[in-house]
Amino acid sequence: MDFRRWMIGAGAVVLALWLSVPVLGHEPARPAKRDRCPVCGMFVAPYPHWVAVIEFSDGSHAFFDGPKDMFRYLFDMAKYTREKTKADVAHVYVTEFYTTQLMKVSDVTFITGSDVLGPMGHELVPVAGEVNAGTFMKDHGGKGRLSVEEVTPSDIP
Amino acid sequence: MSKHLKILEFVLSSLLRRKIKNLGIVAVFSFVVFILASILFLTHAFKTESLAILEGAPELIVHKIAGGRHDLTALRYGDEIAKIPGVGRVLPRYWGYYYDASTGANYTVMGATEAPRSTLELVRGSFIEAGQRGVCVLGEGVAEVRLAGVNGTVPIMGADGELYRFKVVGVFRDLSALLTNDLILVAPEDIREIFDMPPDVATDIVVQVFNPSEVANVAKKIKYRFPELRPITRTEILRTYETLFSWRSGLVILMFLGALVAFGILAWDKATGLSGEEKKEIGILKAIGWETSDILALKFWEGAVLSLVSFLAGLIAAYAHVFFFGASVFAPALKGWSVIFPDFRLLPYIDPYQIFVLIFLTVVPYIAATIVPSWKTAITDPDVVMRG
Repeated sequence: MDFRRWMIGAGAVVLALWLSVPVLGHEPARPAKRDRCPVCGMFVAPYPHWVAVIEFSDGSHAFFDGPKDMFRYLFDMAKYTREKTKADVAHVYVTEFYTTQLMKVSDVTFITGSDVLGPMGHELVPVAGEVNAGTFMKDHGGKGRLSVEEVTPSDIP
Repeated sequence: MSKHLKILEFVLSSLLRRKIKNLGIVAVFSFVVFILASILFLTHAFKTESLAILEGAPELIVHKIAGGRHDLTALRYGDEIAKIPGVGRVLPRYWGYYYDASTGANYTVMGATEAPRSTLELVRGSFIEAGQRGVCVLGEGVAEVRLAGVNGTVPIMGADGELYRFKVVGVFRDLSALLTNDLILVAPEDIREIFDMPPDVATDIVVQVFNPSEVANVAKKIKYRFPELRPITRTEILRTYETLFSWRSGLVILMFLGALVAFGILAWDKATGLSGEEKKEIGILKAIGWETSDILALKFWEGAVLSLVSFLAGLIAAYAHVFFFGASVFAPALKGWSVIFPDFRLLPYIDPYQIFVLIFLTVVPYIAATIVPSWKTAITDPDVVMRG
């Protein structure tokens, strides 16, 4: 019964995505109540202001309770999943700090060493825009600004 | 089990034999429970109400301060505040208090902008359309007090002494009656006219902040950039409500401290000794073959019957008092500045934790207090007891 309901729900989501793709461009998926972070095992839905999403080319996705765990996953995918490799990653989204909207990782700057704590402690906080990044550094005492390509495993707090 | 039922039967008939004395105990006991339970229920209901209010409250409200008092806020501040990172929409609110002489109640008149509309639920009619003038939407409480339905009129005396007549187009309600029972929504242009507000100001400004962890920071920045403004965050309001209601319930408890002391004396009197007659009764029971344990069971049942009857009576009376009669005894002390508030009803709710606390404060000590002296008498030789 539960499974059937799940299938109907999943079917509806797929249909909605399929219908909305040509109209809306691409809308990132939202975590359901029981989705867990593959890195730390925590439920993701209670932290809507920190959610990070990896979408794979086959349409499936992984949810994380912060950019930190998302980077851990990306840097060492073999440790967390057997089915997917780096080549399967289609899109990566993080929740921007000031707008609390999901944004592409290429559109944000990651700020290290700030006093803002995520669900898993110190974070690489995603902030969009040069001005906002500067304000964030001033307000929350960030140490460095990194674009997504510049983040290395040693930057993960 | 049947032995206990027989003892219970004996207890009930012996309680009935001393009707006046036991009724006195029940009366005092229920009164104490009634007072305590009323205060607990009422404080809890008020806290739930204020939480319900805050559910729909904006994260941040900003208004101007002049000489330490609330002042009308210029709209230009809104444009500046909107530039702060993390701030979403900035909406002006137009509102004020209006004392209606004919019903003797205070109403809140508010401009029907987007800010109040989001949490309201329309019961009848429709909301005010943009640009519509001379119409109003009433909270359910106001509609009842004024006996005004859809298509009725509500007259409001303006600041210029003119009488403005507003046609009622709808009636709304909210989760919390405490907040919206006194609310009248009119068009923002109308409110400027009746309160004689200049065109470039609002009563206050509601600021949407996307990230809850950034609210305090935004408030700090507003305060730093505009020292004449006062930002009020939702958590501050919540804290104020909490302190206010806790402090007030403490005050009411203090008022009824006399009743609590009287109850204490009653229990103490019971605990320190039995009357000669009661001792004699125990002696006779022992002499006709009752065991000490039977006497203790007897006294336990006696205490249990008295205290449970009083407890339930007090509790039911308190429930009716708070949730059906609007806590008419203490509401003036607890409700706040507006004593002549339109009538409202609190959401009935009972917290099991509170009931347990009440039981442990009243029933348990009473039963214990009645058993100890009986046990002392019961272990003495019946002959000595009966001779006194």
